[in-house]
Amino acid sequence: MSGAPGTAGPARAVGRVVLVRPWTDARSGGGCCAGPVPRPHAHDASGDPVGAAYRALRGELPDLDVQVVDVANTAWLLPAVLRRARARVGTLGALRCALGATRAGSVLVDGQRVGDLEELAPDELVAVVRRAATA
Amino acid sequence: MPAIVVAAAVGVLFFLAYRHYSSYLARRVYGSDAAFVTPAHRFSDGIDFVPTNKHVVFGHHFTSVAGAAPIVGPAIAAFWGWGPALAWIVVGTIFAAGVHDMGSLAVSVRHGARNIGSIAHDVISKRARTLFLLIIFFLLTLVNAVFAVVIGNLLVANPGAVIPIFVEIPLAIGIGQYIYRSRSAALVPSLIGVVVLYALIWVGLQVPIEVTGLADALGVDNPRNVWVVILFAYAFIASRLPVWVLLQPRDYINSHQLFIALGVIVAGIAVGWNTIAAPLVNDVPEGSPSIFPFLFITIACGAISGFHSLVASGTTAKQIDNEADVRHVGYLGAVGEGALAVGALLAVTAGVAATRADWTALYPDFDTASGGAVGNFVNGVGVFANNLGVPLDLAVIFAAVVVISFAATTMDTGVRLQRYVVQEIAEVLGWQRLARNLTLAGIVAVVVPLAMALLPGGGEAGYTFGVLWQLFGTTNQLTAGLALAVVAVWVVQRGRNPVAVLVPLAFLLVMTSWALIVNLRNFVDDGQWVLAPLDAIIFVLAVWLVVEAALALRRASGSSTGSEHEPVPDDSPQRR
Repeated sequence: MSGAPGTAGPARAVGRVVLVRPWTDARSGGGCCAGPVPRPHAHDASGDPVGAAYRALRGELPDLDVQVVDVANTAWLLPAVLRRARARVGTLGALRCALGATRAGSVLVDGQRVGDLEELAPDELVAVVRRAATA
Repeated sequence: MPAIVVAAAVGVLFFLAYRHYSSYLARRVYGSDAAFVTPAHRFSDGIDFVPTNKHVVFGHHFTSVAGAAPIVGPAIAAFWGWGPALAWIVVGTIFAAGVHDMGSLAVSVRHGARNIGSIAHDVISKRARTLFLLIIFFLLTLVNAVFAVVIGNLLVANPGAVIPIFVEIPLAIGIGQYIYRSRSAALVPSLIGVVVLYALIWVGLQVPIEVTGLADALGVDNPRNVWVVILFAYAFIASRLPVWVLLQPRDYINSHQLFIALGVIVAGIAVGWNTIAAPLVNDVPEGSPSIFPFLFITIACGAISGFHSLVASGTTAKQIDNEADVRHVGYLGAVGEGALAVGALLAVTAGVAATRADWTALYPDFDTASGGAVGNFVNGVGVFANNLGVPLDLAVIFAAVVVISFAATTMDTGVRLQRYVVQEIAEVLGWQRLARNLTLAGIVAVVVPLAMALLPGGGEAGYTFGVLWQLFGTTNQLTAGLALAVVAVWVVQRGRNPVAVLVPLAFLLVMTSWALIVNLRNFVDDGQWVLAPLDAIIFVLAVWLVVEAALALRRASGSSTGSEHEPVPDDSPQRR
């Protein structure tokens, strides 16, 4: 979430967290005229690692800009990570960050990978993100 | 005229349209309100409903709508000359597609991010839901049929593409499994997949695979039909696999191919400075389909595509963070697809032939033009790639591989979606056995388009394809018509000026109905007893849509509240 509607925008966010959807949470499609594939059944919100992580972050760290992105959204993901990470770790480091950002399930804070959605419990994830965002 | 000049001029027009016309639509027609609490905020769950940065949403939306269809229509429509085709792409994108895509997204955001069929049920009538399902059934049937024919034609014409295309399947599965099991970064393996795929083009050229012998042994006249059967067998199996096993990794590889192909077209045009060899307006042979109405259903995707309303209302609306973002995501999505269509048109008018005589030999009549359209695109892109130093034979197979990859993914997805539609229609009809049996629904989803791809005949292969493509175009335009009708009623209900929506709606319905009537008469005269009933059914759906839209608009104009914050119908997540 980028804040309240109407005032949204990454510029005012304290930091940006990107949750890259796990590989098995694919939302692929076939382009015009067939995609994307909808989910055939109602989703179980309680068991979804992205949903759990997202809700925990929104609840505990409401000032952060949290984005949920598909790994295939290369056109946004790579430039966004490069831009954010370059300020912290330089150009070469940013390139490494961009590569790491395409690991499905990644949790990124300002372009840097800090954990994996499928390995961290929501409270652990909040702690990791809090540390990284304030570092 | 140099192709790059046309590309630049279209770029300027699209920029101005986005800057000014989409702004007018947002302010005066759709009444976008930055303070409106979008469904992504109201139902935020981090799963489907996620307020998302507009550039992220645009990335998801554009890769969901960009595909093979905007290539085929312009490649056929060049038959009438590059002027009419380009004019319809530009005018259609600016005044029809942009209005439609943005409107579908806007109305969905104001109705709990529900899909357009569900909103039609509330806004137009209860019957509109059934109408929507039937139109989508025919749309997907024809999508699967035409793309099977497109791929079959390309594999026959480019036997060197067979190995890369069929090796791409296990390659994508292998890459998907590697990414999933090793939990490594996805970018490098998928880029390696692209490199391997293109390396296989050289192998394919050394070992071309033809099925002429197999077709002869089976007593099949046209080897393309052997490929069509193989493709549907593949699509049936592929559609039973979890999305992440094959579709996801292949789609990921395709997303890289999309950027590579776009880069090759733009750079190839700029470097080669190819000039347009096609006439501005072609002096077509007597008896050819006329520009009015056939141009406007031949180019559906690329000028306006009803399919975009399904993406906008089904998926994208759930991620809109701020209602003002609707303009960026919806209108620019349409512009992006229009740009693809212009690229396709330039490939078949400036790339594929250097002189007017060469071009005329490729487009002597409509049957040849439609049958060879995709091949002309492939050869045109091959020339653009050749401008960049790629050997021509490799460049042509590269272009064929890109188109087939997109078309095959569309087929895979189309069969998958058609299963759901078949089950939903069976549910409406009370056919519980079909509604609950995924295999049976899958068989229906494959057999009907397979029959469409194989059965229609009586003419040359090109004729069959051209007619199938036009029927596909009419169903796509009907889908757009239904979405525009929903948008128009909603705009009228809010007391806003609906002219910007009503003009493309009326234009589409007139062109579609006109084309259906002309084609119906031709089919009956030619004894095309598969296509004639199909055309008649689609015409009935078109008339049904016109009646429903007119009734709903009359009701809406009588009960217009002028309220900016109209009561939103029950939009609880359970209803989606």
